[in-house]
Parts: sequence; C-alpha cells; structure tokens
Amino acid sequence: MLNWLKQFLKSIAFWELLKGMRVTGRHFFVKKITIQYPEEETPKSPRFKGLHALRKYPNGEERCIACKLCEAVCPAVCITIDSDESSDGTRRTTRYDIDLFKCIYCGFCEEACPVDAIVLTSQDKYCFENQGENIMTKEKLLAIGDQFEQEIAKDREADRSYR
Amino acid sequence: MVNFEINDKQYSAPDGTLIIQVADREHIAIPRFCYHPKLSIVASCRMCLVEVAKSPKPLPACATPVAEGMKIWTHSPCACDAQKSVMEFLLINHPLDCPICDQGGECELQDQALEYGKDVSRFTEGKRSVKDLDIGPLIKTDMTRCIHCTRCVRFGTEIAGMRELGATGRGEHMEIGTFLEQTVDSEVSGNVIDLCPVGALTSKPFHHKGRAWELQQVASIAPHDCVGSHVYVHTLRGEVMRVVPRQEDSINEVWISDRDRFSYSGLKSPDRLLKPLIKKNNEWVETDWDLALQFTIKSLQAILEKEGGRSVGALVSPSATLEECYLAQKWLRGMGISSIDHRLHRMDFSCDSGGPSPCPTFGLALTELENADTILLIGSHPRTEQPLINHRLAKAARKGAQIIMVNPIQYDFNFKVAAELTPSGGQLLHPLLGIMNALLSQKNERPHFAWLTPFLKNTVSTPEEKQVAEWLGRGNKKVAIFLGLQAQAHWHASALQLVAEALALFCQASLGYLTEGANSVGAWVSGVLPDQGPGGISLSEGKGLNAHSMVKTPLPAYVLFGGVEPEFDLANTVAARRALSESAFVVAFSPFRGGMCEQYAKVMLPIAAYTETEGTFINGEGRWQSFNAANPPPGEARPGWEVLRALTALCGGPGSLYSRSEEVRDELKHIVQNVPSVTLPSLEQRFRRIEPILSESKEGLRVVTEWPIYRVDSLVRRSKPLQDTAASPLFRARLNPKTASLYSIKGENKMRIRREGEFECILPVAVDKKIPENTVHIASALEGGGNMGQQGAVQVFLESNKDA
Ligand code: SF4
Ligand code: SF4
Ligand code: SF4
Ligand code: FES
Repeated sequence: MLNWLKQFLKSIAFWELLKGMRVTGRHFFVKKITIQYPEEETPKSPRFKGLHALRKYPNGEERCIACKLCEAVCPAVCITIDSDESSDGTRRTTRYDIDLFKCIYCGFCEEACPVDAIVLTSQDKYCFENQGENIMTKEKLLAIGDQFEQEIAKDREADRSYR
Repeated sequence: MVNFEINDKQYSAPDGTLIIQVADREHIAIPRFCYHPKLSIVASCRMCLVEVAKSPKPLPACATPVAEGMKIWTHSPCACDAQKSVMEFLLINHPLDCPICDQGGECELQDQALEYGKDVSRFTEGKRSVKDLDIGPLIKTDMTRCIHCTRCVRFGTEIAGMRELGATGRGEHMEIGTFLEQTVDSEVSGNVIDLCPVGALTSKPFHHKGRAWELQQVASIAPHDCVGSHVYVHTLRGEVMRVVPRQEDSINEVWISDRDRFSYSGLKSPDRLLKPLIKKNNEWVETDWDLALQFTIKSLQAILEKEGGRSVGALVSPSATLEECYLAQKWLRGMGISSIDHRLHRMDFSCDSGGPSPCPTFGLALTELENADTILLIGSHPRTEQPLINHRLAKAARKGAQIIMVNPIQYDFNFKVAAELTPSGGQLLHPLLGIMNALLSQKNERPHFAWLTPFLKNTVSTPEEKQVAEWLGRGNKKVAIFLGLQAQAHWHASALQLVAEALALFCQASLGYLTEGANSVGAWVSGVLPDQGPGGISLSEGKGLNAHSMVKTPLPAYVLFGGVEPEFDLANTVAARRALSESAFVVAFSPFRGGMCEQYAKVMLPIAAYTETEGTFINGEGRWQSFNAANPPPGEARPGWEVLRALTALCGGPGSLYSRSEEVRDELKHIVQNVPSVTLPSLEQRFRRIEPILSESKEGLRVVTEWPIYRVDSLVRRSKPLQDTAASPLFRARLNPKTASLYSIKGENKMRIRREGEFECILPVAVDKKIPENTVHIASALEGGGNMGQQGAVQVFLESNKDA
C-alpha cells in the first residue's frame, strides 16, 4: 500500500524525468569546452607524435649519422635507409624514406636515435593529394626539420626532465 | 684423458686441452678477445678469466690446460667480478662511437659489454686517441678502437706469413700499425677484418654501407680459383654488400683470399649488360630475348650450313657453372659445333691430340696436402694463383715438408722453400728432365723405367737437380707433384705434363693440376673439351679444335660463354683479337659489355654473374659443391643455364624438360657414374709425341707471361678495390740485369719485342734480379697490354728512346 502510494506520487511529480534530466541540467550550467576547430585548437602535449622531421645542428650540419637504429626498431618497418661515406668522410644517409601510410606514430624511432635526429613533431595537419607523396624523403624531412626547429627544440626542452 | 668439473658438472677431455676449448665444445660461454682457435695463444686480454679451485687468483681459460680433478667456475662471483673489471679497463679507452662504427651489431666488444659491462662509466679523464693509417684500398682502419688483442699481428706472422702489422709502444701507448707508413699487401689480408673483434679493422669497400643485422646471408662458393672456398654472400635489398668466409675446415678453414672477398665490387660495374643487344649497322640495338636467341641460332646455322661444323669455335669460361658447361656443350654439339674448349690459357695441346686428357684434379685432398713430406710444384705461384693452396703449403712447410719449386722466375714465398729452380729462358722442361735423369741413375734397379733412358740421352743433371731427385726418391715418404697455371700455359705444357706424370709414377707420388678458373674440373666432367664428351668419354667422331687452334687460324664465327674476354683470357691475345675482329659472327654470353666485346660481337646476351645464379662448381679435389643464387640478376639478365635451356629448346632439343638446375646436375651425375673411367695411352707411347721437343735447343730469349692475381677473369678485372691494390702490376718487360746489358738495355729504356709474322710491341723495361737470364717477363691481361702475343721465343730490340 505504501509502495503503491510512493509510485503514484513519483509518477505525477515526473520524478524519473527530473532524475534523467539531472546530467543534462548540470551540463547546462557548466563552462563549455567545445573547440571551434579550425578557428580554435586543443593544446598539445610536448610529447605529441605527429609528422616526422630530421633535425640539424645549429651550425647547419645534419644530425643523422646513418646508424640505422631507427630503421631497425621501427615496428611498422616503414623506414628505409641507404648509407655511405660522404665527401667529408662522415657516415651519412644517401636515402632516408619514411612511408607515412605504414607508420603507426609510435615514436620508437625517436627513442632509438642516439643523436635526436629523427623526431616526431607536433604537426598534425598534412595530407597527400597524389600517389607516392606518402613517402617522406630525406629532403622533405630535413625541410620540415628546418621549418619547425624552434618548436621541436622547445618541445624537447619541456620534456627533458622526464627522459 | 683427464676428468674435471666445470660449473659443478663432470667433463673429460684429452690431456693438454685448454679450458676454453672444452667450454666451446660444451657450449659454455666464456668471454674472450685475444683467443682465436686458428691462432697462437698470447693470453693478453684477460677477458677469459675463470675461477679455479685452489688457485689464489682467477686464471685465463685460453691459456690454462685442464688437469685431473680441476674444478672450474665460469660464472662464479669471483669469475664474474674479474671479467667485469677487465671489461671496465677495456672500455676506459674505447670510444663510444658504435652508431657510426661499421662493426656495430657484430662487435664482440659490444656484445660482451652488454653482458659484462657496467652501465655507467667511472672514468672521467680524457680518452686515448690514435692516428689512423691508410693501409691500402681494402682495409679501413680506426685505430682508436683497437683493444690490442694482437689477433691481426698474429695472423700476419702465422697465417699470411708476412709481418705487416705489428705492435709498437707499451701499455697505454701501445699502437698497432704497419712498421713504416705502408700498405698491407698480403693476398689474404682481408681476413683481419673478420679477426678484429672490434671496429679497428673493417672492410673499406663496405665502409658505412650497411649494417650486419639488415643483411641477408646466402651460402655460396668462391668463383675465382679451383680451391672452391666456402663463402657467405651478404645482400641488402637484392644488392651484394659483401662476401665473408664460411667455415669449412677441409677446404678454406676460416679464411678466404682477398680476391674472393672483394671481387663482388665488379658486380656493380657500370658496364653490366642489362638487355640482349644486337648490332645493326654498327650500332647496338636493344632487343628482347626471343629475337636475340632466334637471331643467334639463325646466324650460327647459316654459317654452319655454308662452312661446316668446324667453322664455329666456342670458348667457355673455366669459371662457368657445371650446369652451364653441360648445357652449353649439349646445345653446341646438338647444333653440330664441335670446337668447344675451356682451357683458355693453354697453347700447347700436343699430348692430347689423339688421346683423352686426364681430369685436372689435385690428386689428393687439401687436408692431405698439409701432411705431404715432399711437394714439387712446377710452374706455379700459388700465392697469387690459389692463395689458400699457398696457405696449406705454408702449413706443410712448417711441419717440415720439403717444398721444391720449378718456376720461370723467382717469386717471394711466405714459407721455407727447400729448392727453387729457375731455368734460363723459362725452359721449365730442362730442370724436370734433369731431376728425372738423376732419379733414374740413382735408382737403376727399376727396370720397367728403362724405356725412359733413351729420351734423356742429352740430359745432364746439375747438383741441385740431383739433390731434388734425392728428396723425391726417398721412398715411403708422401710426395705430391703439381702442375701449376704456368706449366699449363707453357709452350711445352704437354711435355711438362708427361715428364711430371713420369716423375709421379716413378716416385709413387700424387700428380695434381692447379687449374685456371673455379670449375675447370667441372668443365672437364661436363665435356667442354673438343674431343671428350660428358664424363670425359673420348669422342670417336666430331672432334673439334682446341682453344688455341680456334684463334690461331681465324674461324667465321665464335661463341663466347660466361664472360670470356679473349683479348685478356687467351694464351695468344694478338691472334685472339685478330680472329674475333675478322670473324663474321660472334655471340657473347656475358654479364658485362664494354671492352673489346662491343667491337667484335654481333650479339650480346646478358647472363647472370656468379652470385646471381644457382649452380655447381667442382673444385680441384673433385668435390661437387652446389650453391644458390644470392640476389636476382640486374635488368633482363638471366642465369646462364636458363638461357642455354631456352636455346636447346629452340633448336628442338629436350632443353625445356629441365625445370630446375638440379635436374641438369643430376642428369650429368648419372652420366658420369655410368661411363667407364678415362684410360690414357701408355706413358711410353705418349713420350714418343714429345720426342722432338726433348732435343730442342735451350738457347735464345723467351717471353714468359703470367696472369696477375687480380686480372684472372672478367669479374675481378672490374673490381675497383682490387685493381687499386699494389698487387696490380704495370705493363713492363722485366729482364735480368745480365740479359739487359747483353742487349744494352737500361731500366729507363723502352724495348721492342717481336716475333716474326706474329706480333710486335713496344713497352718500358724494368730490370729485376729475380728474372732468370734470357727471360722477358710480362704480366698479361693488363689494360693496354694488347699487342702481346703468346709466350715463347722472341727477338728484342732497344727502342730508340725519345723521352730519354
Ligand atoms: S613512429 Fe614508429 S612506426 Fe612510425 S616511423 Fe617511427 S618507429 Fe616507425
Ligand atoms: S635518424 Fe637517428 S637513429 Fe635513424 S639513422 Fe639517423 S642517427 Fe640513426
Ligand atoms: S686492430 Fe683489431 S685485431 Fe688488431 S690488435 Fe687491435 S683490436 Fe686486435
Ligand atoms: S682470451 Fe684469454 S686472455 Fe684473451
């Protein structure tokens, strides 16, 4: 009898409905976090794993010494390197290709590199219009490195104490 | 036998066995740097320290023999502590440049540092650094990385027989280097690359080219000499990156020659033939296989119809595989071509005419050679011709064998030679007859050799020859006689062969042939001979011309198989050039274009070079050694046996029946097993044929030529690192000072050499005491050496020297 009364009161007071609206109601008053992409962007961690780049030293010398550790560690087997002695007698790559269709953006290559040459930048906006553009050649990678060097250096600096 | 314990387990081994040997046998890991099973023991690195009960300090496992009741622990705290400490000392001065070091990934120091090293260095002081040396085009040095194990130094003294590398200074200041700024010129020098446990000595042609872990490894057989060394070919994405030895104790142990190691560079030569080419109006036109093969067959058939079966000569490389040889002769004989030969260096075939030639094997196994008591080498310079035979000879010499050389010039040997006979004018026959004569007079109790006496009536033995005869005829000693490349290329090759046979019979010795190419025995077995078919069976009809007669009088057409370059490879290069350029049709089956081939050939068919085809080589011991292809041939090149299969099929033969090369080999094997063995006519009968030679005069000047170590075949000739070594000679006529003064020629002069009606050439002179009198020694197969005819009597003139 008492139960029946409880049910009756709940139903005429739209209790269940109010209960269901509770979450909605709460969110109605909470500060909104919708990002108006592309006018706005989410902030990224310095560890963000985006487009690859090959870095240079401040004096313009290529960092990469063609040790092929990144090639060996890459779980997706998407890095292909040919190496040879350069004109100044140092060990250099003559070809450094990353197939971005195969890459799983794990960042292992960056971890393996003894000289911080290959890095994953925080760039996440890129696309390919033609077949074959998914292969990032050494020239492209170095150009990306040149373009974003400041940002790359800043990200590495921010993450330094955790490495 | 002694019983002892390692890591609390019972083992036994013969007395005197070293702890490290037992550990290796039982697969117990003991770290080491200076110990190498093929080198002497110095116990200098101390990496192999192990704990031994009742010994106050840990002992080096590589220098401590096991003893009865010994208790050894290889991984006890005491041993590990010792090993770790040694490792720390070694790493004090070792640079941390693994990422740019070519040894990275296959470095003994790296591996052992991983296991025994500490992860942090306690050493903050400056590291030692050592100046690098340039020791030639084959070996790259980085002496800062050296850990002073002295393996390379011991290799030089004990194996290469040349003290080229040595240690100077002590302790911290110890450095390994050449004594003067010198190159390392040994023919087996490349082995220090494998021996060096770190990256101090690495391969120069492979420098910075790749990583050990990314290479594919395929077992193969070395293609440049009759030893048949076992090798591994390492490839990366279908390209050969390097060649390293594969251990086979009965053949090459753990070594290979530099020629086998570095010849692969020639595979990447820019003049690789990539597509079938046909010459039209003196222009090379690319075509497809079908057209090229049909054109070849039609052209050959047209000539055969017009001029008969003897109008086509086929020269097959002695380094072609067994399958290629067998299919080549099958195709050629099927077409009606009977002049087929692989003995390119030979010019005298007189003792073969009318009878079969014997199979050119060593006559004994390589491991037996090491234990021979007396070894007679005739016309042979194994150091350059078969470097690993030289290694066995050096081992035999160290065990006390008497090694006797009968050679056209004096050579530098890296072992003790008991006697070296260098007759004047390159007349190798005379000292042999002298030895034979002395043997006969020493042992006149052997009546069944009485028939020999009349042949020797003009021979007088010198004391030296008598001494040699004494060594040879000692009885119950193991004697081995070898005819080397220069005896086979000699103008008296047949006579030399017969006298050697007689000597071998007389001394109950083995008689062996150190042949050209990697597969001379295979070529013989498959019947690449003008008068013998597969299995060596004598042909009663359809005999053809031998390699020398094929070019002596030009033929209308030639077939060149397997990268044969007659302008370099034949005994008479002048005649070869003339014959080929005058002929109406030449088809070259070759991995390479370029050179003279482009001028004389009408069709060039690209075939695979050695790492690119499967096949079989039969080495001098008679071992059938099959191997697989390591990488695909470039362009449209196809393995030689497939091309021949297609040709046979096009000619209506059963060629297309073979689906794999093994079937070709097995078919031949079946034939060989079922033919009767070759019987030669009696020695006495064959001696009759050389009777006129025996009474020939010894006088007069003669040219002696020799194929230099890195000019022996088309692949080696295209290997840049090998061509850059000091072993690549200049085009010079080398003369004895006495002979030179007889013709009033001086070192800076030029000389004109002429043989009436045959050739004439002018070349610079080098005066050299190692050349016997009346001999003009010239290296053949050199670029620009084209006008040299065959060996033998010549006239020389002083060329009026305009530059002098
Ligand atoms: S991020 Fe990972 S998958 Fe991509 S290239 Fe680097 S290692 Fe390879
Ligand atoms: S990017 Fe780094 S890891 Fe890769 S080859 Fe170059 S140096 Fe080595
Ligand atoms: S160069 Fe290599 S083999 Fe020679 S002593 Fe040094 S580490 Fe040993
Ligand atoms: S390996 Fe034993 S001391 Fe070097």
